[in-house]
Amino acid sequence: MAEQKTKRKNIVKDISFRVAKATVKAVLVYLLYFFLAPMLAPLFEMVPDLLGSLEAFVAVYIVLIILSDITAKTILQHFFNTARALFFMGYLLLSMGNGVFSTSYENFSLSINLTMFYTIAVSLSLLGLARCILQAINFMHERTEASSMDF
Amino acid sequence: MLGIASTIFWILLVAFLALAAYSVKDLSVDFGEPQFSATPDGELNLGLPLYVDNRGYYSLKEFHLSTVFSDAEGAEISRADTFVPVIPHGENITIMHNVTLNPVTLLEKGAPYLFNDNDLNVSFTAGLNFAELLPAEISANFTFPWGAPFYNFQVGDPSFETVSFTSVTVSVPVSFENHAVFDLVGGIRMELYDSTEAMLTESQTVIYVPQYSAYDDTMEFTIPVTPSSVSSLANAQSGHLDVYFDIGVIQYGPLVIPYG
Repeated sequence: MAEQKTKRKNIVKDISFRVAKATVKAVLVYLLYFFLAPMLAPLFEMVPDLLGSLEAFVAVYIVLIILSDITAKTILQHFFNTARALFFMGYLLLSMGNGVFSTSYENFSLSINLTMFYTIAVSLSLLGLARCILQAINFMHERTEASSMDF
Repeated sequence: MLGIASTIFWILLVAFLALAAYSVKDLSVDFGEPQFSATPDGELNLGLPLYVDNRGYYSLKEFHLSTVFSDAEGAEISRADTFVPVIPHGENITIMHNVTLNPVTLLEKGAPYLFNDNDLNVSFTAGLNFAELLPAEISANFTFPWGAPFYNFQVGDPSFETVSFTSVTVSVPVSFENHAVFDLVGGIRMELYDSTEAMLTESQTVIYVPQYSAYDDTMEFTIPVTPSSVSSLANAQSGHLDVYFDIGVIQYGPLVIPYG
């Protein structure tokens, strides 16, 4: 009875910790966006669609962080981590277009070739994706090992 | 381990971008007052000073500046390129972008550029490789005012005056403004025709009109009184003047101006 009580207490404690961790992470990501966004204000004036797209990206990213942390120590965590890495890569690939950022102001037009930057960012995202898949494989391996030990 | 490596790379990438953005803030580019000068060949030299103060963290490489002048129809008149391999960080340099405009190219097109002020189209492109990773280019289109050397060219009605029994003097007032960026040195030749298309006389004058100044003078013609010219003079109450312009690099004419 006492053991069951302790186990339930541990589960509540664990879930609370996950929720707290997810909240802290989400707040940190939002704060990063909150402080960085004003710095990019001149860019938003030149590219009005950027702000909306960035807001949507941050919202989806935070939701995936929360889901990943809440489902920690389960296979779902790795699904959400992989989804986050794929979402990040997809967002980068969709936003890069041909890799040249172009904008016009009055009769001036500015173009910056971001191909190199995007290549590095996508490579790093691939590294993140690889990490998520390896973690999922490791998780499944540990689980199989644990269940075989039980037998 | 993979996570740590990935995080370190992301931090490095974001730090690089932040520093690059901060460096752009500390980069100032200013244009000076354009300087005009004329070469002995009659070409116009437009010197555009460009002051670049690179107080950022990165050197600017392959800085290039290109200007293309074209007329209202889009035909290219002049093209100039300036290339600076490196603008080191922390340095303040002055780049002189020289554009050579050959007025002959324009004046050969005749009346629109000789007698009317016009706007030339200028296509401007400047580019650089920022921090060896971010090539950027800025381009703009604007107009450049072309001042006509014979702006508002006007010829008054000829006035005939008998100065002696042997000759008649004809005076024709001529006025215009030199709106060009160069001094006008050359000549004007006029032929006076009566209403029957017979040429009565001709005259020419040498002109020197400094840039942005007006010319107002009278051209004098002398018609000798002969039995044949007397009948012509009777028809000279109306007719036309054919004007020929010679400004060294270009000749234009006739510009037919009716009178009477």
